[in-house]
This record gives sequence, structure tokens and C-alpha cells, in this order.
Amino acid sequence: MASSIKEQFEIPSKLKTWAYALIGVGLLAFIVGFITKGRGTEEEQAQFIGIIMYNTIFWTLVCNAAMFFVCIHTLAWSGWQQVFRRIPEAISTLVPIFGSITLVLLLYIVFSGNHHIYHWLDTKAVEGDAILKGKSGFLNAKFFVIWTVLTLGLWSLLGWRMRKLSSEADQASMNNESGKTYVWKNTVTASLFIVWFGLTVGSTIHWFWLMSLDAHWYSTMYSWYNFASTFVSGISLITLWVIYLKNKGYLEYTNQEHLHDLGKYIFAFSIFWAYLWFAQYMLIWYSNQPEETIYFKHRVQGPYKGIFFLNLIINFVCPILILMKRSVKRNYTLMTFMAVLILFGHWIDFYLEVMGTISKEHVTLGWLDFGILSLFVGLMILFVAKALASKPLVAKYDPFLKESIVHHT
Amino acid sequence: MHLKYESQLREPLVNGKKTYHDVTEDIVRPIEAKPSKLWYIGFYIAVALLLFGIYSVYRDVTYGIGQWNLNKTVGWGWDITNFVWWVGIGHAGTLISAILLLFRQGWRTGVNRAAEAMTIFAVMCAGQFPIWHMGRVWMGFFVLPYPNTRGPLWVNFNSPLLWDVFAISTYFTVSLLFWYSGLLPDLATVRDRAKTKLRKYLYGVASFGWNGSTKHWQRHESLSLVLAGLSAPLVLSVHTIVSFDFATSVIPGWHTTIFPPYFVAGAIFSGFAMVQTLLLIVRKVFAMEDYITIGHIEAMNKVIVLTGSIVGCAYLTELFMAFYSQNKYEGYAFFYSRANFFSPYGWAYWGMMTCNVLSPQIFWFKKLRRNLFVTFFMSVIVNIGMWFERFVIIVTSIYRDYLPSSWTVYYSPSIWEIGFYVGTFGLFFTCFFLFAKYFPVIAIAEIKHVLKTSGESFKESVDNIEKQSAAEFAHEYAH
Repeated sequence: MASSIKEQFEIPSKLKTWAYALIGVGLLAFIVGFITKGRGTEEEQAQFIGIIMYNTIFWTLVCNAAMFFVCIHTLAWSGWQQVFRRIPEAISTLVPIFGSITLVLLLYIVFSGNHHIYHWLDTKAVEGDAILKGKSGFLNAKFFVIWTVLTLGLWSLLGWRMRKLSSEADQASMNNESGKTYVWKNTVTASLFIVWFGLTVGSTIHWFWLMSLDAHWYSTMYSWYNFASTFVSGISLITLWVIYLKNKGYLEYTNQEHLHDLGKYIFAFSIFWAYLWFAQYMLIWYSNQPEETIYFKHRVQGPYKGIFFLNLIINFVCPILILMKRSVKRNYTLMTFMAVLILFGHWIDFYLEVMGTISKEHVTLGWLDFGILSLFVGLMILFVAKALASKPLVAKYDPFLKESIVHHT
Repeated sequence: MHLKYESQLREPLVNGKKTYHDVTEDIVRPIEAKPSKLWYIGFYIAVALLLFGIYSVYRDVTYGIGQWNLNKTVGWGWDITNFVWWVGIGHAGTLISAILLLFRQGWRTGVNRAAEAMTIFAVMCAGQFPIWHMGRVWMGFFVLPYPNTRGPLWVNFNSPLLWDVFAISTYFTVSLLFWYSGLLPDLATVRDRAKTKLRKYLYGVASFGWNGSTKHWQRHESLSLVLAGLSAPLVLSVHTIVSFDFATSVIPGWHTTIFPPYFVAGAIFSGFAMVQTLLLIVRKVFAMEDYITIGHIEAMNKVIVLTGSIVGCAYLTELFMAFYSQNKYEGYAFFYSRANFFSPYGWAYWGMMTCNVLSPQIFWFKKLRRNLFVTFFMSVIVNIGMWFERFVIIVTSIYRDYLPSSWTVYYSPSIWEIGFYVGTFGLFFTCFFLFAKYFPVIAIAEIKHVLKTSGESFKESVDNIEKQSAAEFAHEYAH
């Protein structure tokens, strides 16, 4: 029996074609976008950069969330997800790749002094603005660059270490002693990752990359809100890959029980996201202070109204109504639909956050947004597939694997 | 029937090679024996404290809340601090019974019963403060929204204080139902073992005629699931709404969007600390070391270091935003009234930081997580810290308001404010002593359930499975 199990993923040529096609479309969109917008007025340039920016930040954070998924389960000594743990690992290999794109873009913005994106880069404006001047201890190019490099570097490094440790479970069978050592080594790296995750995703990095787009505005919830957004997206992405591999005849040990739990995860964190959304929005609405409400003013009452409510419908109303039923969470087709929907929904959320600030007066959602999205989706498919093919799909000597095989929700 | 299997890497949840009968014996024994001297001493101390509390409240009702040292800007002082503190403590029980159930954490079975009882008593204590703070408490029914003869005088639906009334009463009701429905099979066990008529009668009434039939179990299971589903959002909603009491205002230090999740994390943090305090005593006094193992204590310490760090992240976020916003009122609240050690309440802020953020970090180390003395000490420290958190939030934000002419002198509580607080300890421990004497402090039926997968003797029986390769194992057992 053992020999018939497809343990090694081979990238189907169809998948490669799709990936290259999406990348091709994306590059074409990028080039056309550069010609039509990238060299246009300052406003058009800002839009062009903004579109790349929210895509690259979104995908970097989503892929990093997959490593977060691995680390929290490691720390919690969780067994159920072992049968597909290689998938979040593979997704996390994209952190250095998308991270580099993010880094290049952010460095470009900072060094070209593009103050249409980051108003606080405009030294003249900062001089005449007491608030921005006061913030300059934090919002300055030097700190921004150092922290960004450090953040992306450590995410990549610690993620790489986690994946490397995981390979040990391919080597030889473990007894009680060696199993404990293996878990211990994983725990140490996962703890480091989680701490660094808290100091970046849980706080600083969203202030730097996203919140400072509205240089005057602030909200203490902002980082946790974006964490919830990208985490639920990360789980959706994991789910999509699980279903894809399952359909291709891989992941023999993964079954509806695991899918069901992934469904619960998406359900729970969609509600958690909505909870944070509500807490942030309601408190700002209730106290009605202009320096805070300014962020929502044009999003709720201006041209972004439609997208504002669409965001809530896709990311909260849909999951709570559709995923509530047990049979839905155990259905491969419906789960595929929901995972795609939620990834799209949070991508829209990032669109609203970034473009709602860069282009306050006009909703620009159009071919360029989807073109750039296609570039990132193509890259994601290509690199995740490569990472999956580079290792067995199941770490067959992992001490908790058997628990996962007989997992029953 | 699928295989129930758990890796041998996990330590057993029940130590000693117990049979079902041993479990019943061990847990019911304290109920059937006469209480020890220690129990009487503890109980009488608790009742004495309660009486002091009752007298303090009597003063408050008779003479008005002028008996307290609240003043023109500090309108909320010890009373609301204590209210929030107790509500927070009341979070662990529901988290354990609902959220950890959803996460399938087997270790919850050792601690859920006592934690749920603690939750109910803590919420009872919490409720005292807003009720007696009303002053004219006989008007208390005004908080209930019903068509009345007071003309257009309805409750203010826009006020988070009213949301609190609904949130906490719902929470109390669901927690009570959850706790009690879980008790039914265990009370029936006590009834079936009863030797006197009175005992048989009383436990018979209390167990609602439970007879252990399949039908009863089936309904019991579905009820638990429904109540778990209802409780899960309640874990978040109650402290979220308590945080709204502050965050909906425009008072510096109170109005901040991170308050809801950060309050919830803090509540779980303090709740687990209180569970540790109580369970460390219970396992010792009732000899329950086989059921509340070091592994259980360690798991809870992990929750404490996690939630303590989340709270720490929130504290630093707030502090950062006070700078980043460049709002001078926020800056004053955070950098003068709080973080400046030499300001009148600076000591309270740093006390909070030390107890809640710095000291729990010792639980990154396994040795310390598994050390009983350290755990007990830390559980007390954490609850002191969490008391300071509420005190810091409330008092440091309001003792100096926007108008310097109304700045008040240093607020410190009167003896009757202290008495009221001490009285709630009396209430809490009186209830807990009675609970420990008359109810099974560990869920007997649930322990029997985990015995099969996680008991010590089961662990040894899977030796041969541990030796199988994944493929062999899957071939044999996968469903």
C-alpha cells in the first residue's frame, strides 16, 4: 500500500502554463500601466505605485501569515494539521520573494521622495506642520528603511529555519527522546518567530507601511485589524492549496475532517476580523472626533461607499451565513468558492486602505489592479508549486503525524 | 468506531493508572467526608470578610455614596476598578468551557468545573459594584427597559453602561446554565452513592432526575454544544462592552480603538491567574494532584505568558500612539499622569507594567512554568497587576481633567470603599468554599471520557502503535 501513495508532488505542466500566463498578463499590465500612468501626472504616478504597493504588501503579509500558522500550531503542540503542514511551509517560501518586491518598491518610494504616497517624506511640508514634525522621530526615511529591512529579513530567516527543521522529520523515525528534541527545536524557532511577528505584524510594520499613508491619522487598533485580515486570507490560501492537491490525488491522509477544521478557522477568523473592524469603526464613529473620523469620511460617504460596504458583505456577511453550516465546511467545491471569495475580499480591503487614501476622489479599481493581481497570483502559484515539489508532501516521521491521520473533528 | 489515539510525547492528563471507579472515589470523597479544620477556618474568615462588606454597603446605602472618597473629577474610583477587575477574572471559566472545547484542548477537563464556578462567583462580585454605586439602589429597576409610567423616560440605549447590563446578565445566565448542565451527571453520581435519605433527596433534586440513559446523554451533549456556541462569542463580547464604557468617551487615555481586544486579552490573563491561585490550593487540600497535573498548570502558565504579552503589546501601542498622534491631551495622560514615575500615580503605572508585562515573561522557561511556588506567586502578582491596570486607566485619566481649577487632591479610598472590596472577597470565597464542599470540583464524567485517550494506562497501551510507520498506521486505522 505504502508505495502507491503519491508523496512527491510533480508540477503539472498545465499549472505551469497557467502560472506563466498569469505572470505574462501581469507583466503586460505592468508595462502598459507604466506607459499610460507611470509616466503621467503626479497623481497618475501615485496611483500606479499605489496599486503595486497594496498588492505586494498584501501578498507578502498573507504568505507570512502561513508561517504564522505553522508557528502557532508548533507552539500549541497541535497535531491535527500535520498532514498538510508542508503546504503553509511552501507558501511561506514566498516571503523573501514578495518581500523583495515590497522592499524594492518601498525603497523606491523613499529614495525618490515620493510624497504623494508618503506625505511625511516631504521635508518642506513637515517643517511647516507641527504634527508631522512631532512624529518625525518615528516617521523618517532612515528608521523606515532599517526597520523594513530588518522585518523582512527576520521573517525570511526564521521562516527558513522552521522549514529546515521540518525536513528533519523526513529523515528517520523518531523515538520518544528524539521526538521531544525535535519538538523542542521547533518550539524555540517558532517562539522567536512569534515574538518578532508580534513586534512587526502585531504593531510596527502596519504603522510604517500602511497607516503612515494618512500621515496625520492614527488608530491603535490598526495593526491588529490588518493582522486579522491577512491571517484569514492566509488560511484561505492554505485551504485552496490543500483542495488543489487533494483533487490531484495527493495528500492521501488529508480528508474532510481537516477541511472541516480549516473551514472553522476561516469562519472564526472572519468573525474575528469583523469584530475588530466593528470595534475600530464604532469607537471612531461614536466619539466623532474630526482627526479620527477623517479616515472614514470619504470611504463611507464619498466615492468609496460601494466598496466600503462590499468589503463588509464579502468578508463578514458571506462567511457567517455560508460557512455556518457543517456540510458547507466539508464540501470541497463550496470551500474552494469561499476561500477564493475571502482572499478577494481582503484584497479589496487592502485596496480600500491604500487607494482610498492615495486617490481620495476617484475609485480607480480597474484593469491595472487586476493585472497586477494576476502577476502576484501567477508568481504565487509558480513558487508555491516549486516549493511543494522540492520536498515530500508529508513529513512522515513527524511525531504528531499519526494524530493527524486519525483526526476526527 | 475510529481509533482514539494520542502521541506518547504528550504527558498523560490523568496520572496513576486509574479505573473509572477510582476517578469517582477520588473526586467524590471530599464531598462525603466531614470538612477539615482548615476548611472551617477558611470558611469563617470568608464569612467574616463578607459581613464586613455587608456593613460597608449598608453604610453606603444609608448615608449615600458620600461615604466613599469619590470627588469632583474622580467619579469612578475603587468601585469601578473593582467591578472591571472582577468581571475580567470571570472570563477564564467560559474561555475554558467554550473556546478550549472548540479547540479540543483535552486538558480543560481537569480544570473546567472549578474555573466555571469561579467565573460565576466572580461575576456575582462584579455585579455588586455598579448596583451599589447607583446610590439610590431602590431605583435600580430603572435600568430595565420596559414601557413605564415615567413618561418618555426610557433607558439610554446609546449608553455603553446600559449595554453592560445586557452583556453581563446574559453572560451570567449562560455561564450558570453551562456550569449547571455540566454538573447534572456528576450530581447524579453523588446521589447514587448517598448513604443518608436527606443527601439522596437533595442531590436527587439537584440532578433533575438524571438516570444516565442514552437519551439523557444525547440531549446533554447537544445542550453542551449549543451552550458552547452561545458562550464563545460571550467570551469576547462582555469585556468588549466593558471596554466601551471607557473607549466611547473622549477622555484622554480612555478613547482608543484597541481597547476591546486588549481588554479581552487582559480579562483572560487575570482569569487564568485566579484559576491558578484557586486550583493550586484545591489540588493540594483535596489531593487532586493526579487530575490537576503539573501539565495542566504548565498549560495555563502558557496562556498567561501569551495573554500577558498581548496586553503588553497593547500597552506599548497605546503609549506609542500617545506620542505618534501628537495629541497633547493624550500625551499628558500617558507621559505625565502614567509613565512619569514621579507623577502622583506614576507608581501605579509602573506597578502595572512590572506585574503584567515584565514578570510573566519568566514563563518562557519550562522549569518555571512547572514550578508550583513560582506559579502561585505569579498568579497573585498578575492579579495585583490587573487590578492596577484598571486603577491606572480609571484614576489617572480623570484625576486631572481639562479644567485645572477642578483638579482634585490625591484620591485614596475611604474605609468603606475598602470594606466593600474586601467584602466581595468574602462573597467570592464563601461561595467557593461551599462549592468545594458540596459539588464535585472536577468534572467526573468528562475525566472518565479523557481517561480512555489520555490516561496513563492508555498511554502505555499504544506502545505498539508508536512503533508503526505512518503508512502502516494509516493502512490500519485511517478512516
